[in-house]
Amino acid sequence: MSATDTFTLEIIKNALVAVGDEMFVAMQRTSMSPIIYETLDYSCGLTDPEGNLITQGNGTTVFLGQIDSLVREVLKKFGEKGDIHDGDIFISNDPYVGGGTHLSDPALVQPIFFEDELVAFVINKAHWTEVGGKDPGSFTTNATEIFQEGLQLPNIRIFSGGKPNAALIDLIAANVRLPEMSLGDMWAGVAANRVGERRVREIFAKYGVAEVKEAIVSLLDYGEEMIRQEMKNLPKGVFEAEDWIDDDGLGNGPFRIQVKVTITDDEFIADFTGSHAQVPGPINNSRTGLVSAVRTVFKALSNPSVPANGGCFRPMKVICPDGTMFTAKRPAPVSLYWETMMAGADLIWKALAPHIPERLTAGHMLSVCATIITGTHPDTGEFYLMVGPLVGGWGAGATKDGDGGQFASADGETFNIPVEIAETRYGVLVDQYAFHNDDGGFGKFRGGKGVVLDYRILSDTAVMTGSFGRNKFKPWGIGGGGEGSPNYAKVLRADGGEETYTMFHQIPLKKGDVVRLVTATGGGVGDPRERPRDKVRNDLRDGYVTIEQARVHYGYDAKVAAE
Amino acid sequence: MRVATDVGGTFTDLVYYDYDEETGTFGGIKTEKVETTPPNFEQGVMDTMHKAGLAPKSISFFAHGTTVVINALLARKGAKTGLITTKGFRDVLEIARGNRPDLFNFYFTKPKPFVPRYLRKEVDERVNYKGEILTPADLSGLPAIIEAFRDDGVEAIAISFLHAYANPENEIAVLDEVRRLWNDVSLVASHRITREWREYERTSTAVLSAYVHPLANRYLKSLDAKLRSDGFSGTPFIMQSNGGIATLNAAAANPITMVESGPSSGVLGAIELGKLIGVPNMITLDIGGTTAKCALVEDSRARITTDYKIEWTRTNPGYPIKTPVIEIVEIGNGGGSIAWIDEGGKLHVGPQSAGAVPGPAAYGRGGTEPTTTDAHLITGRIDPDYFLGGEIEPDMENLDKVFQALATKLKVSVKEAARGVIRIANANMVNALKLVSINKGYDPREFTLVAFGGGGAMHAVALAEELQVPKVIVPVNSAVFSAWGMLVTDLRRDYIRTKLVRLADVDPAEVGRLFDEMAEAATAEYEADGVDAGRLMFQRYGDMRYQGQEHSVKIEFPDGAVGEKALAEAIKRFHEAHEREYTFRLENPVELVNYHLVVSGRVPKPDLSKLEPTGRDLKDAVRGVRSVDFDENGIHETTIYERGLLEPGMVLKGPCVIEEPAATLLVTPGKRVEIDDYGNIHIIMKS
Repeated sequence: MSATDTFTLEIIKNALVAVGDEMFVAMQRTSMSPIIYETLDYSCGLTDPEGNLITQGNGTTVFLGQIDSLVREVLKKFGEKGDIHDGDIFISNDPYVGGGTHLSDPALVQPIFFEDELVAFVINKAHWTEVGGKDPGSFTTNATEIFQEGLQLPNIRIFSGGKPNAALIDLIAANVRLPEMSLGDMWAGVAANRVGERRVREIFAKYGVAEVKEAIVSLLDYGEEMIRQEMKNLPKGVFEAEDWIDDDGLGNGPFRIQVKVTITDDEFIADFTGSHAQVPGPINNSRTGLVSAVRTVFKALSNPSVPANGGCFRPMKVICPDGTMFTAKRPAPVSLYWETMMAGADLIWKALAPHIPERLTAGHMLSVCATIITGTHPDTGEFYLMVGPLVGGWGAGATKDGDGGQFASADGETFNIPVEIAETRYGVLVDQYAFHNDDGGFGKFRGGKGVVLDYRILSDTAVMTGSFGRNKFKPWGIGGGGEGSPNYAKVLRADGGEETYTMFHQIPLKKGDVVRLVTATGGGVGDPRERPRDKVRNDLRDGYVTIEQARVHYGYDAKVAAE
Repeated sequence: MRVATDVGGTFTDLVYYDYDEETGTFGGIKTEKVETTPPNFEQGVMDTMHKAGLAPKSISFFAHGTTVVINALLARKGAKTGLITTKGFRDVLEIARGNRPDLFNFYFTKPKPFVPRYLRKEVDERVNYKGEILTPADLSGLPAIIEAFRDDGVEAIAISFLHAYANPENEIAVLDEVRRLWNDVSLVASHRITREWREYERTSTAVLSAYVHPLANRYLKSLDAKLRSDGFSGTPFIMQSNGGIATLNAAAANPITMVESGPSSGVLGAIELGKLIGVPNMITLDIGGTTAKCALVEDSRARITTDYKIEWTRTNPGYPIKTPVIEIVEIGNGGGSIAWIDEGGKLHVGPQSAGAVPGPAAYGRGGTEPTTTDAHLITGRIDPDYFLGGEIEPDMENLDKVFQALATKLKVSVKEAARGVIRIANANMVNALKLVSINKGYDPREFTLVAFGGGGAMHAVALAEELQVPKVIVPVNSAVFSAWGMLVTDLRRDYIRTKLVRLADVDPAEVGRLFDEMAEAATAEYEADGVDAGRLMFQRYGDMRYQGQEHSVKIEFPDGAVGEKALAEAIKRFHEAHEREYTFRLENPVELVNYHLVVSGRVPKPDLSKLEPTGRDLKDAVRGVRSVDFDENGIHETTIYERGLLEPGMVLKGPCVIEEPAATLLVTPGKRVEIDDYGNIHIIMKS
C-alpha cells in the first residue's frame, strides 16, 4: 500500500516533468545563439541520484540518450570517490564516452542536494555556436581528427561552491572565436540548471523526500508499463534494412550500413553489425549517439506521446561492434555525427515502415542540411556567423500526403530563422523562401515538398560550409511510391557562373553571389497513377506539380482534361 | 443605463444597471439571456434588450463582447481569403516555422494554412531591415490578381510584406490600389495590426484577421446601425482580448483583437469579484455552448501576451496571432459540443458544436447529432421541465433517437452512452485546467475554481474533485458573468513597436520621443472615438534583453519624462527582472526591442450589492425532488433548489441541484454549500 495518495503522486510527477520544461524555457530565453534560441538544439533534464532519467525537455530528438549517460560519467569519475558537492557543476563535451555527440555540444551537470542528501541531478546539453577548432562555427566537413574540431572539455569541474573556476572560463574564452556568445550560452545553461534546482528543492520541501522518491519510482515504472503495453501492438519478428551514406565530407564513399531489428513480446533489439567501419572524414558517430538514434525511432514507433523517461527504454537493446561509423573510437573526427546517427534511426524506420504504417511515413530529407555562412555585417562591420538547419520534405503516409517545409527527424521543436531576423542580424538579403518543383515524391500519396532558400551576399566577402546528405541516395518511397528529390546547395555567382555542392567546406563568396539551398522532397506512397484525379487537379492548381510531371508521373494530361 | 452584452456561440447575454452620472450612484444589476442568432448575431443583442424592456436611447454606456471571431476561426467558418506577399515568399504561410512539437511523432501532420497555395499571390516589392525601399511595389500585376480572386470567390484579402513593421509604404501602396480596384472587399494589411517583426507570425495574424473580417464587420456595422435606429446616441465599446474595451470602429478595422473578447471579460470579472470577497488566487472556468476557457489568476492579476496561438497544444504548433491577449486556454468543449465516434471506435466530444441552430438534439430543430447538453438531460442533471428556464420544451423523442444511434455504435445502453459523453467532456476540460495550472507548476489545491458561463456550474464540482481544488465559487449571475465583467473593465489599447536600439548608445530623449509619438497618436485615436484625453492613463513598457539574446523581458518604465535617470532606472529594473526570472545577470550591453505603450481610460464601476436575508426557510427554496445520475457517485433522489430563493447564511448539502433559468449547479454527494453575503455560491469540497 502506497504511503502517498495517488493524486499527490500524480501532482508530484507532473511537477517533476514540468521541471524539464521550465529549464528548457529558461535556456531558450537567455541564450545568445540562434542555434539555441531558434533551432532549439539543446536539451534539459533531470535524473535521480543514480542517473535514471526522470524527465527531459527537448528541442531536438538527438539528445534522447545523452542526459542520463552524462550523469553516469560524472558518477563514475567523481561520485565513486565521494567528490560531488553542493554547488558543483561539471562540464563535458567528450564525444566518445557517455553523453557524447560532438565537441559543439558541451553539457553542464549539476548535483542537487536536499538536507545534505544528493537527491537529483539537473543537466543541460546545448549546441554552442562556437567552441573553437580550425573553422568558424567549429563543426566542419573536412576534419581528419578531433583536435581540429574544437576545444575538448573532458568532464571537468567548472563550478565549485556555486562559483565559476575563473581560470577555466578564461581558457574557454581564449579558445573560441565569439567568447561573448559562447560564455553567454554557458550562462544560459547555468541558468537553466539553477531554475531546475530551485524547482526541485521546492518539490522536495513541499512533499517530503520519501514521497518524491516514491513518485520517481512510480514515474519510471509508468514509462516502462506504457511502453510494454505498446510493445504488444508491434509486429513481432526480424526486420532488416540496408542503406548508403553518400560521403564522409572528404569525398570518400558511399558507405553501406545495415540493421537487423528483432522484436519479441518484451524486447526490441537493434543490431547494426556489418555496417561500415569508421571513416576518415567527420561523419563518424559515437556509441551514445547510436543509442539516442535507436531511442528516438523506438519511441516514434511505440508511443510518441509518453513523456520520455528511463523506464521507457528498458525493453530496448542496441548491438554494434566498436569501430564502425556508428561507434567510432578516438581520435576519429565526429563533428557531423548527426548525419550518421540519424541514418541509423532511418534504417530502423525503413525496416519497419511497411509494417507500422500508422506510425511511420516514407523516407524524408533526413539530412538536417546544416549550413554555416560567415562574413562581416555590411552595416555594423561586425563578424557574423549564421548557423542553422533547413526545412524540407517529409515522406507520405499510408493515408496522407507528406508535410512540406518541416525540419528533419533529428530536429523537432526547431524554429526556422525568420527572414526579417536573418537580414537584420547577418546583413544578407533573402531572395526567396519557397517550395520547389524538382522531380520526386510522386505517389498515390505524395511526398511533402522540399524548399528552396536563396541568400544574396551583401558583404564584400563571405564563406560557407555545409553538410547535405541524402543526395546520391534519395528519400525512399513505399509500395510503388516514388523516391524523393535530393538535397543540394548551389552558388549562383554574380558573374553568371554556377556551382553545385553537397558536402562543402569554406567556399569563398563575394558580394552579389547567391547561395541557393535546396532540400529534398519526401518519398511517396503507392502508385502515382492511382492518385485520385481531383487531387492531381488540385496539385496542378496549387502548383505542387507541373503540367509535365502530372503527365509523365501521374498519367494526367492537363490539356486533354481541359477539353 | 449602463449595459453590457455578450454574444456566445450559443447564447447572447445581457447585464445592465442604472447609473446616475451626476451623483455616481448605482442601481441594482439585472440580467437577460436569449439564443444567439447566426448569421445575424446583432439580432440576438437587440432581442435581449427587447426582452428586458430596455430602450437603446436610455443607454449611456454600451459594452459588447463576442465569441464570433474565435468561433469562426475554430470552426473554419470565416471567409475565403486571398493573400498577397512579397515576391518569393508566398509559401512562408505554409512553411510556417517548420517546427514539430510532437518530436517523436514520425507521422506528424502540420496545421493546414488558412489560405491555400493557389490563393497566395506575389507582388514584386522589397523593403530591407532598415526600412529602406529597395524595390517600390509593382502595382501592374494587381488587376489580374484581383480578377483571379473574384473568379475564385474570395471575400477577404490579407497583405503582408517583408519588413512592413519597419516601413509600411509598400503595403500601403498595394492596400490603396486594391481598395481602388475592389472597393468593398475586406482588406487587412499586416502593419495595421502588428508592428512587431517575424514575417510568419505577422502574416498569420493578417490572414486570420482578414479571414474573420467580413463576418465581424457585417456584424459590428449592423449592430451599430440597429442601436442607432433605436435611438442610442453614444459610442458602442467592444471588449478586446487584452482585457480592455475599444470603440466599435477600432474593433471593426482590426477584428482579430476580439479573438478572446468574451473570455477576457470573464477573467476580469473574476478578478474584480475576487477582490471584493478576498480571493486573490483562482482558476477561472467559463463553459459556454461551444467552448470551455480556463485562465489562472495569481495575486488578482492575469498575464497578457502577444505570443498567442490558437489551437496550440504540446503536440500542435497552432496558428500565431500577434495581438495582446490575456493568457487563456480554450478548447472546443461546451454544452453544444457534438459527440462522435472515430474510425477506431473511440468516442470523442467536440470541437464541432451544434451551436444555437440547429442546437442540441433536444431542441427539436433538426439537430441530428448527440451533444453534451443532451447527455445532461438523459442523466436527469437538467430538468426537462425547466429546460432553458422553461422556455423550450425538449424534444425527448428526437433526443432518444439520436442517442440510441450513438449507443448502438458504442454497443452500450443510452444511459451509459450519455455518461460516457459527460466523462469525455470532463476529461477534456480537466486537461485544459491542468494546462493553466499543474503544467505551469501551480498546484490547484492552492486555488479556488471560479465557474461561470451557461455550463460552468454543471461541470465545476466534478472537475474540482478531479483536480482537488478545495473550493468552487459559482458567482451571482454566473450564466452571464462575462457580460458583467465588461461593466468593470476600463478602456484599453496596447501599442507595440519593434525598433531595436542599443541603450548604451542611445540619447534617452530619443526613447522618450517615440513613446510620446505613440502616445500622441493614441490620444488622437481615442479623441476621434469621442473619449476625452483627460480620462486617459499611460503606462510605458519596454521589451529588453542583453545584446545577443533573442528573447526579451518586459519591464515598466518609471513615470515621467524619459531622461538619463529614468532610462538608468529602466535598465536597473531589467537586470533585476532578468535575475529574478532566470537566476543571473550579465555585464553585457542592454537592448530595447519593443516599445509597448498601454493607454487606458477609466470607466465608473458598479459594486455588487449585498443581499438582505429575509429569514426565509431553506425548505421554501425547494423546487422538488428528482432522480439524478451522478455517474461514479451513484444515482440519487436529489433535492432541487431555486437559486433565486437562496439567501446569505443558508447552508446546503450535496447531493443537490441548484437551478437558475440559464444554469444548473450540480453538487455531488458529501459537499457543503454556502451562500455568501452577495449571493455567490461557495462549494466546500471537503467538509
